[in-house]
Amino acid sequence: MAIFLQLLFTGLGIGAIYALVALGFVLLIRAASVVNFGQGQFSMVGAYLLVVCFNVLGLPYLLSMLIAVILMAGFGVLFAGATYWPLRHRGGLPVIISTIGASIFLENIVLVLYGPSPEVLPGLFDSPGIQVGPVFMDSQYLSILVSATLLVILQYVIFEKTLLGKKLQATSQDKEMASLLGIPVAMMILITFAYSAALGGLAGMLVAPVLFVSVGMGGLIALKAFAANIIGGYGSIPGAILGGLALGVAETMGASYISVPYKDAFAFFMLLMFLMVRPQGLFGEKISEKA
Amino acid sequence: MKLLELRTLTARYGAGDVLKGIDIDVDEGEIVALLGANGAGKSTTLRAISGLVPHVAGDILLGGKSILGQKTEAIVRLGISHVPEGRRVFPGLTVRENIVLGASNRGRLSRAAMDREVGEKFELFPDLHRLRDALGWTLSGGQLQMVAVARGLMAQPRVLLLDEPSLGLAPLIVQQVFKIIAQIRERGTTVLLVEQNAHMALSVADRGYVLETGRVLVAGSPTALWEDPQVRAAYLGGLAAG
Ligand SMILES: Nc1ncnc2c1ncn2[C@@H]1O[C@H](COP(=O)(O)OP(=O)(O)O)[C@@H](O)[C@H]1O
Ligand SMILES: [Mg+2]
Repeated sequence: MAIFLQLLFTGLGIGAIYALVALGFVLLIRAASVVNFGQGQFSMVGAYLLVVCFNVLGLPYLLSMLIAVILMAGFGVLFAGATYWPLRHRGGLPVIISTIGASIFLENIVLVLYGPSPEVLPGLFDSPGIQVGPVFMDSQYLSILVSATLLVILQYVIFEKTLLGKKLQATSQDKEMASLLGIPVAMMILITFAYSAALGGLAGMLVAPVLFVSVGMGGLIALKAFAANIIGGYGSIPGAILGGLALGVAETMGASYISVPYKDAFAFFMLLMFLMVRPQGLFGEKISEKA
Repeated sequence: MKLLELRTLTARYGAGDVLKGIDIDVDEGEIVALLGANGAGKSTTLRAISGLVPHVAGDILLGGKSILGQKTEAIVRLGISHVPEGRRVFPGLTVRENIVLGASNRGRLSRAAMDREVGEKFELFPDLHRLRDALGWTLSGGQLQMVAVARGLMAQPRVLLLDEPSLGLAPLIVQQVFKIIAQIRERGTTVLLVEQNAHMALSVADRGYVLETGRVLVAGSPTALWEDPQVRAAYLGGLAAG
């Protein structure tokens, strides 16, 4: 039981990362109908920005994170300008291809700047963690869980309790109708890109001390986040969160109880099971069917 | 006074003009009906006014100033509110949220002003009051149409464009919708009303135009259109039915 609880804690921690990336992914699907294959690279770029601010420039850790998150929001706007804007009237596929291109471009730029050897980032806290009953709570996993919870609450408040949130939702449900009401649709989409990039970047910064910072770190995270999306229900926001958490727990348990080398395979096994048995995922969307 | 003028307006989506040079005037305070068979170009006319058709030529004047080529969001801010075909109520937002978003073309409204205006819409559409927290996708066709019109009125438009508000509604609900259109005009809002239900449309309109494959076939007062045998035979089939 102690081991189970310990694995549950670790699994939820890693799952929270998948959930944050999956959330950014879903928001872009909903607001701009963009399937962004560069979502994982947002995490990679975010982690490298933290390396620059903290390791290179020597700024305080929290300030470094804050600066990196703000830079990521700006980066999201640039990314939108390069991959989405010129192709926005051409349907989904050209944009998907251009996000794939951008993700390859980003990895290679970082490779040129930083080389293939991974960078190391310390955790947010000096203390290794705290013992709570049978579970040792690693401080970095704890920061991931707390940050992810706060972000989900923040996002809920923004989307459900503010007029801006309602305009973002309206844009994601029917762009043409939103523009007929005078909602600045282009601005809403840019805000979504900025937010999504900041979210992905923050996920990368949070997971960096656990995983190392490497050029390839985004690819696997993005695949897991995509799987989380399908498991949770394509395009569903609660689905992205629960799907991410479920995936993190499943792979951590699978690795421990069944086989470590197959850790990554569990995620994709779970994805295949869902596609076969419940393709609409945990939260099959009613709204998109109706619209 | 002429509020909205279309001057030899042409419009196309791809190849081939859908509107082939139409002239339409809407005076301040009028209800003007735009009639015609399915595919005549009625919706395209409204969409061109709102800046939703990619290729337009000729001119569109609002209060004497050209709005041709402006972005949709800018056109709404100038005071043209468009309630499109199919209602397009946001399915994942509540009735109240849908109505509130109708004021997006205006500056920031105080909470008190917003509550007052939404309250006025609930007076105009009493059924919506009890549905204020229902999500868009749960509503019936008639309810959706009322939300769409209430939302369109929140823009405080100089001209309200209504595209087939009676489509798909039960006769009793259609009567209700037209009663509300008459009420809207009494409050001073100008309406350009697209309808296939010519009988109902001409009963509230001051003037009408009949479109045929992208051209204005005839225009005139309801009685004149009523009595035009050619129009009667071909386009106002609704007369016999109604
Ligand atoms: N988005 C579009 N793309 C291409 N053609 C269109 C589009 N919308 C309408 N059309 C064509 O334009 C013509 C007029 O359509 P429309 O304005 O919707 O007619 P109405 O509203 O009078 O029924 C039709 O032949 C229709 O096929
Ligand atoms: Mg039509």
